Amino acid sequence: MRRLSWIQVNVLLACLLAGCVLLALSAGSFYFAPAQIARFLAHGLGLGAIAPEETLDLNVFTTLRLPRVLLCGVTGATLGLSGTLMQGLFRNPIVEPGLAGTSAGAALGASSVFVLGNSALSFTAPLGTAAVPVMAFAGGMLATLVVFRIATLFGHTDVLALLLAGIAVNAMCNAGTGFLSYIARDPQARNITFWNLGTFTTADWRGSLLVTAIFLPCLILILRRGKDLNALMLGEDDAAYLGFDPERLVWRLLVLNTLIVSVATAMVGVIAFVGLIVPHMMRLLRSSDYRFLLPASALGGALLMEAIDVVARLVIRPAELPVGIITALIGAPIFLWILLAHRRRIASA
Amino acid sequence: MTIRLEAVRWATGGTTIIETMTLAFAANRVNVILGPNGAGKSTLMKLAAGRLRPTGGRVLLGESDMLTLDGRALARTRAFLSQHVEIDFAISVEEVVLMGRYPHFSRAPGREDRRIVAAALELVGMAERRHRIYPTLSGGEQQRVQLARVLAQLWSDEADPPARILFLDEPIASLDVHHQLHILETVRALAAQGCTVIVTLHDLNLALAYGDRLIFLRDGRLQAIEEPGGVTPALVQRIFDVRATALGDADGRVLRFHL
Repeated sequence: MRRLSWIQVNVLLACLLAGCVLLALSAGSFYFAPAQIARFLAHGLGLGAIAPEETLDLNVFTTLRLPRVLLCGVTGATLGLSGTLMQGLFRNPIVEPGLAGTSAGAALGASSVFVLGNSALSFTAPLGTAAVPVMAFAGGMLATLVVFRIATLFGHTDVLALLLAGIAVNAMCNAGTGFLSYIARDPQARNITFWNLGTFTTADWRGSLLVTAIFLPCLILILRRGKDLNALMLGEDDAAYLGFDPERLVWRLLVLNTLIVSVATAMVGVIAFVGLIVPHMMRLLRSSDYRFLLPASALGGALLMEAIDVVARLVIRPAELPVGIITALIGAPIFLWILLAHRRRIASA
Repeated sequence: MTIRLEAVRWATGGTTIIETMTLAFAANRVNVILGPNGAGKSTLMKLAAGRLRPTGGRVLLGESDMLTLDGRALARTRAFLSQHVEIDFAISVEEVVLMGRYPHFSRAPGREDRRIVAAALELVGMAERRHRIYPTLSGGEQQRVQLARVLAQLWSDEADPPARILFLDEPIASLDVHHQLHILETVRALAAQGCTVIVTLHDLNLALAYGDRLIFLRDGRLQAIEEPGGVTPALVQRIFDVRATALGDADGRVLRFHL
């Protein structure tokens, strides 16, 4: 069989994503038929009227379903893209924002605002509504830098150091978040525990649009760095001899990566393993060339996340599962499998 | 184009690795850097290639300071083959060699770039294995793929090619003797076509056979610059702490070493 070209794979992923978005818009405790969705969307654009008995449906659709599907897609794209990006920066295929501490650091930063925001300790008050994303970014950046520095200390990535540093930083951040939820008064505490598992139930337009508005410009900047990340596979020195500036590249991409992951985490909580599964599937699908991998893992991440969210909404209807449970359930075995393949390659080399 | 080091010194964390040295590499010749382990050979290469910023002094390419040059423009005329390039990702041989063309195209490679990649793979004898996955190759094969990459980076079919500089850091360490000679022949042919070659070697006899100028380092100090004919047993003793006997040979000299 002839292998599909990069563009064909990406077009295919985009088509699947469109289908999955339609499914995600219609499925759930409220079911919307495709025709109804079309009428609602047309109504939103000022075309066609809605029957009075549909007002409640329309309300559910526009204030709950639409922002949720948007947030879910953008979060999935963020995690898929971030996994690919971090694997490129660490020059190692077993990294993702959950393992490297980025998500846990962001969660700690965000929960500090949730719990301490109204107390006497409220040092974030001057930031106003920006406090949550700003603190999430600060926490995510700090955690990522610690893991990155330890893992790449002597010019090359040490897998053991990476995993151990990730475990330690994750443990520290989780302890911090746990402490905060312990001292918090209801209902904040419930929010935090829920949040460690990752969920889209709290999606609203404000959050969804904020995540999207930060993601899109970062996406454009990141997609231009495919060649740079390819050259970085050779190591920092050899990338420099090809005319790239590896130190500046790594620094810039770490900031962009932490930015998109932190803001998404601040909204939906920690969703592990998506950043690991998606790049791995895309590598198997076609190539490890980052010029292909970056757009493909953004599309693939959105696709996977929408699909998982539909499952999360349907499996124990009318209640729903936090998506983080499902991603961990699928992702952890895949992670073990990747680790095994990685060890085999090292052993045979 | 000549590369000159003017009073260059390099120190890290209070330790001086390269003592102040002034030295010019011979243009369009094979310059071989020799010295015992820890002499500072790799550091000297990185300084000369513009990867390290000298602690003192400056590195000049022609008349301009290496550090003021645009990285991408420099990458079209200067390439560097590292000792060992390990890649943890499943990427094909062809894609690795194509990276050598990155300084030459901005979005997608052109037909010319594809042709050069194929020619470079042909030259190192890896054309049939171009679709193989790089991490599955043996160490020697990986080294040949990397050589193809730097050759593609500096490739020129012009009758009067632009000045180019190729650095090779122990390029033959992991190769069998056939491929050792093959690579050194390739490198010598490149010098004949107007490419300055700067290479570190551990094999003194291969250095004598293929080098035009031999640069001897020890303890971060420049000890001697000699043509192959000027290398005496006394010099070898001083640099490497071994006794050397010259054996006569029809087309050159061979050294035998004793402790």
